[in-house]
Amino acid sequence: MSEQFQPNVVAFLCNWCSYAGADLAGTSRIKYPHNLNVIRVMCSGRVNPLFVINALQQGADGVLVSGCHPGDCHYMEGNFYARRRFSLMNELLEYVGVEPGRFNMSWVSASEGAKWKDVVAGVVEKAKEAGPFDQFRRNKINW
Amino acid sequence: MVDLEKMRTIAKETVSRDDVRYLIGWRQGTYGFRVSPHFVEGPDEADKLIFSPLCSNNLATYLTLTEKLPVPRGEQPDSRKIAVMVKGCDSRAVVQQLIEKGIERDRVFVIGCPCEGVLDLKKVEEKFPGVLSPVQVEWSGDKIIFTLADGVKEVPKGEVLAKKCLSCRYPNPVMSDITLWDEVKPLGDGKYEDVKEMEEKNPQERWSFWKDKFSSCIRCYSCRNVCPMCYCDDCVLDRLNPQWINRSSNISENSAFQLARAFHLAGRCIECGECERVCPVDIPLMAINRKLAKEVREQYEFEPGLDPESKPFQSSYRPNDKEDFIL
Repeated sequence: MSEQFQPNVVAFLCNWCSYAGADLAGTSRIKYPHNLNVIRVMCSGRVNPLFVINALQQGADGVLVSGCHPGDCHYMEGNFYARRRFSLMNELLEYVGVEPGRFNMSWVSASEGAKWKDVVAGVVEKAKEAGPFDQFRRNKINW
Repeated sequence: MVDLEKMRTIAKETVSRDDVRYLIGWRQGTYGFRVSPHFVEGPDEADKLIFSPLCSNNLATYLTLTEKLPVPRGEQPDSRKIAVMVKGCDSRAVVQQLIEKGIERDRVFVIGCPCEGVLDLKKVEEKFPGVLSPVQVEWSGDKIIFTLADGVKEVPKGEVLAKKCLSCRYPNPVMSDITLWDEVKPLGDGKYEDVKEMEEKNPQERWSFWKDKFSSCIRCYSCRNVCPMCYCDDCVLDRLNPQWINRSSNISENSAFQLARAFHLAGRCIECGECERVCPVDIPLMAINRKLAKEVREQYEFEPGLDPESKPFQSSYRPNDKEDFIL
């Protein structure tokens, strides 16, 4: 089972850096794991920590939030707020017993297609190690 | 030393003022060790006010609960102050509400009551079961004196005080317009021993602990309703569109509810312990709140509810905040 297990990773990418970085990885034909479901947001500061909880509830095995490097935010300071928020969210999830490595955050700029590949490979590897997320996944409703 | 006469005199003077609408204090409850909030609208009601180790209610909650009715055309809104009696922890709630601009400074009159620690009713009722007639309780050094129907009993503080009071660092109001009596010495040093103990377990142990606690949650929302910091008009926990958290009470929704509730208090929780006190199924909610408070205090050197001029934690940043969790 574990060698076949393909995790479902949800990635929230900021429009200006990480999404463009992932695009660059694509146009440069860099290969990276296909377990990623990308959700484009305008800024990492837009990602509500509830998105992470909700993603885990709805079937994600890992979550990645990625934005511009500190100081490079298109909106000047969005990623600074995101960093504070998700540092606490990370601690909170670990504290209630979600495996470390389920939640990840990274800075990937528009020119870092190669780094993007490494980040994704790392996140997917960690999610594979942690196995299917079953702590508080929402059960499917069978009418 | 607690001086009830002085407290009632000052309360009478305060409610008699033209610019004060009403005063919120404590009074004897209907039975046993219960204490109720008391809303004093005229000087003759002030004689019922009490202050004892049983006054654990955080009255700062009521400041933001005031109903804001629409003002009829041609009339001015009521701009009189609300006077509120606060212990040390309650005063931090008032300050945090001021920081967040939930209330305005010139609409509130703060009467500070330095506090030597309040009782945990669960511990008290275990010691004196089945007490139904009202009881007088007083502080006396490091003992608590209970005047029961069958005599006077002395109990050491450590056995009956609430857990939050044993590690309390702010027994004196951090902000007040009048302080009623002399300041008292803090009982504790605010160490996070219980949180550290939990952190040392492995993820499976932690989850099995919290799974047990979360699955007993009946989603009564008492913890949110009693919290002095939970005063949003449109609370995300019961918003229907988008519905972040379903209403069904199962482990998935309960965990999401508890995590969201705790997270919304990150950097805001003033550790008054009200959520834990009112929880009907005894979920150790303060263990989650204190974890976040610990991170905020240790990693960002930030403490909520101390300086009314400071900025809220989550809407401020420093360029050199810690980054070690980022890939």
